[in-house]
Amino acid sequence: MTENTLEELDGSFANQILETVDTLVVILNRHGEIVFFNRACQLLTGFNAGEALGRKVWDFLILDEEIDAVRGAFEALNAENTPSHFINYWKTKDGAPRIIEWSNNTLKDEDGAIAYILGTGVDITESKSKEAALYESKSFLRAIVGASPVAIITSNEKGTILSFSRKAEAIFGFKENEALGQNLTLIIPEPDRLRHDQYLNHYLETGERRIMGKARQVTAVKKSGERFPVVIHVNEFHDGVRVFVGFIEDLSEQKVTERRLEDVKNQLQHIGRIGAMGEIAATIAHELNQPLTAAASLAGAVSLTLRKVEFPQRDDAISHLNETVSEIRRASEIIRQMRDFMRKRKTAKSLHDVNHVVEEAIAIALIGAEAGGVHVTTDLGANVGEASLDRIQIQQVVINLIRNSIDAMQDAEKKHLAISTAKKSRFIEIKISDTGHGLSDDVKKRLFEPFFTTKEEGMGIGLSISKSIIDAHQGEITAIEKESPGVIFSIKLPVGGHDKAAKSQ
Amino acid sequence: MTKLQKVNKGEVFLIDDDAAVRRGVAALLTAADYTVSIFTSGEEFLSEMGSLDIDDAALLVDVCMPGIQGLELQEKLNRDGVDLPVIVMTAHGDIPMAVRAMRNGAVDFLEKPFTVDEVTTSLERAHAISRPVIKGAQKASPELCKNYDSLTPRESEVLRNVVDGSTNKEIARSLDVSPRTIEVHRQNMMSKMNAKSFAELVRMAVALDIGD
Ligand SMILES: Nc1ncnc2c1ncn2[C@@H]1O[C@H](COP(=O)(O)OP(=O)(O)OP(=O)(O)O)[C@@H](O)[C@H]1O
Ligand SMILES: [Mg+2]
Repeated sequence: MTENTLEELDGSFANQILETVDTLVVILNRHGEIVFFNRACQLLTGFNAGEALGRKVWDFLILDEEIDAVRGAFEALNAENTPSHFINYWKTKDGAPRIIEWSNNTLKDEDGAIAYILGTGVDITESKSKEAALYESKSFLRAIVGASPVAIITSNEKGTILSFSRKAEAIFGFKENEALGQNLTLIIPEPDRLRHDQYLNHYLETGERRIMGKARQVTAVKKSGERFPVVIHVNEFHDGVRVFVGFIEDLSEQKVTERRLEDVKNQLQHIGRIGAMGEIAATIAHELNQPLTAAASLAGAVSLTLRKVEFPQRDDAISHLNETVSEIRRASEIIRQMRDFMRKRKTAKSLHDVNHVVEEAIAIALIGAEAGGVHVTTDLGANVGEASLDRIQIQQVVINLIRNSIDAMQDAEKKHLAISTAKKSRFIEIKISDTGHGLSDDVKKRLFEPFFTTKEEGMGIGLSISKSIIDAHQGEITAIEKESPGVIFSIKLPVGGHDKAAKSQ
Repeated sequence: MTKLQKVNKGEVFLIDDDAAVRRGVAALLTAADYTVSIFTSGEEFLSEMGSLDIDDAALLVDVCMPGIQGLELQEKLNRDGVDLPVIVMTAHGDIPMAVRAMRNGAVDFLEKPFTVDEVTTSLERAHAISRPVIKGAQKASPELCKNYDSLTPRESEVLRNVVDGSTNKEIARSLDVSPRTIEVHRQNMMSKMNAKSFAELVRMAVALDIGD
């Protein structure tokens, strides 16, 4: 065997076969020099065997920009002896590039050492350009997938990721090229990771749908390891092979909003409770202080009377009475401290967008409150703007009013709750209108009294707290009767917090 | 109107809506040798005022009552030029009302429940005070001004808040310091002002025209 030819093949049956097949067959020695160049190669390149043999492939067949890659692949094969696939250009004698898909292997000598590199190639120039055309037609689709606000991931039956949209990159933190070829378990946290394969197999075997076609909320995991809630909607389609496509929405932001609403609600309830307790404490303190005053005064009266008469234990009696008075004062002081402790917090005003404050309050008021068929409409004036107010307190008022309206409409046939805001010259008005049972004359008179209620479970403090809050804002709260059944509650807040502005409309 | 006793210490018109309070306070004042006339409301007092001898008398009135309130009554008397020293009785937390009453020319205010000494001291002031005792009559003395000027900015801020009816806790929150600190400022302020009671402090504040 010489360095330039593969004599064993010469004239052999095998040689004839290799010469006649359409497949490109080229054999290189360990230096990269061509020792065999079949007819297919000659036809494709325009170089005959004599022109090719003995030359290194990268000296005349490879495009300049691919020389390094081809040499690298050759050396890797030479050293590691693992078969490889490779796609590269060959340039023909007249300079035209052809795309060849190679399958490379090694041929060993008697000692098992690598003696030759065998490359078998297929000219895929035509089919490649067809793919390119296909790719073109798909690029429209790709653009859509890329623009989707929902992450889109496709996989094959084995769960291998086939595509990974831009939004998926953004949500999960993996780049497309990191995700492609990986199993879907990449984005599924333990312990679902194990189960996922089981689900998939189960589905493939039985066709029984567990998650297919339905939206489900699950936990996913990011590249950083952070777990987060997503809604996933999986479907399948056939594109020659079976492909699963998952549409995934990141819920963490939505969750944050929900949690914030929940927080605000708790905060309001807490303040509401404290507000209510403050109201109760103040009333009790006042009611208790009166009899204490009477008792202390009576004791004082007796002590003064005793000073005017003489009897043996007089001084003792007087000092006991003085002690009685100071004990009464102590009791009164305790009550005062309790009252101060539960006193409503002072209003903390700052500038707020009124519509925003109202919208948030509506959302909170309707959470949990079984709106049971209540139709809610809002009409928030475009130019309402800001007002100086205590956000939590004003929301408390709006919530109280909405709750009252919902209560009043419980048995009504038509349940319509309309909330509006409007800017008038000197004040901003918030209106809450319902189609409930309305107000009787007696109720109208006592509406804002603390502890006045017509409800079995009512405390009767919603409106009295609301009134004190609105008073603290130099505003006005009134109930307006409607022609049709129901009530409108109106809150007027001064613009820019000017004193009494609301009252001088 | 019920007249109880006539002795030399002078006459007191007592107005309170609570029957037990009326009875108790009347008993106390009678034992302290005042003549007491009792009224259950501001309206009742006004309707009978024409037939009353208001010379050498004082009015002891609760600030918080249904119907015409203590303050309104006082303001009406001022408007009508009725020359009658007024002492208001307040319950907890009516400090802002007490301050307003003082500003309107009240001689004093008493926090319920009060002792014999407190009420008799107030009444003595009321009866002794040179008339007329109308709005803004009490002027700050040079000594009071000097005391006030000796306060640190924090102390005068605490003074203003205290006479507006804020609790230590509330003042602490609004000034963003601990309630304990406010307590210290408050004590220093009281001693610099030479005020022996809260009522006295309010009286001074009114004379100095502090607070609102
Ligand atoms: N929109 C409304 N329509 C009809 N009646 C109302 C309306 N709002 C309030 N009321 C009447 O006014 C009363 C007092 O209302 P308020 O909000 O002060 O207390 P409540 O709702 O009874 O109890 P709470 O608010 O303490 O739970 C109610 O019991 C109800 O009779
Ligand atoms: Mg209510």
